[in-house]
Amino acid sequence: MTRASDDVIIKALARLLMPFIVAYALYVVMHGHHSPGGGFQGGVILAAGFVLLVVTHGLEQTRKRMSEKLAGVISSIGVFIYGGIGALCLILGGNYLDYGKLSKILLVTPAEARSLGILGVEIGVALAVMAVMYIIFFAIFTAGESPEDDGRAE
Amino acid sequence: MTQFFLFVGVGMCALVLLCLYRATYGPTVLNRAAGISAIGTKTLIILLLMGVIYDRIDMFIDISMVYALLNFIGCVVLAKYLETTGEVSC
Repeated sequence: MTRASDDVIIKALARLLMPFIVAYALYVVMHGHHSPGGGFQGGVILAAGFVLLVVTHGLEQTRKRMSEKLAGVISSIGVFIYGGIGALCLILGGNYLDYGKLSKILLVTPAEARSLGILGVEIGVALAVMAVMYIIFFAIFTAGESPEDDGRAE
Repeated sequence: MTQFFLFVGVGMCALVLLCLYRATYGPTVLNRAAGISAIGTKTLIILLLMGVIYDRIDMFIDISMVYALLNFIGCVVLAKYLETTGEVSC
């Protein structure tokens, strides 16, 4: 299931579709606060792009682009962005995730700081969700094989 | 006009039930796959019709695009799985 296939149609389609999937995921993340979507949904769409890549180009090709170790690092970075913005608000004298207080360091009005803070949190959530979905998907796809023997993972 | 879209939506729901029958009792696995993917397409249309009826088409287009994308990826994964397990001779 995870071998590199030689289907020309599906490979070409994936290559065409991939940039649009990423652009759409970024759109969903950016417009999360005034349309359906947000960090979680955008992250899931990004992970769906990786699923398409695994199915069309094989497991090894995808692993070369993003290993499971890198996915773990990215998920940690996402959680760090979320927690960091929350803690920054705490340091600046507000409650946890009280974005209005960010106006002191962003040099904008509190309303704009609120919008930017939500955007930052959503970017963190999207990164964490994408990486964790990717790890779960890899764990399911390579079930029964030990993660160490990368060479003969089929 | 809303009445018309409402009736079209109800008709689509009836068609979804027919496809659900095919997906549940399909004699072969290919019938099930075709039924599932047809249900996905019909759900897409029902979502858009709901957007027209509630007058919020701009929001429902976002959702339906994601639904179409996931439906496509699910279809590809299912086809790949059937190809590898050799349940269907292609």
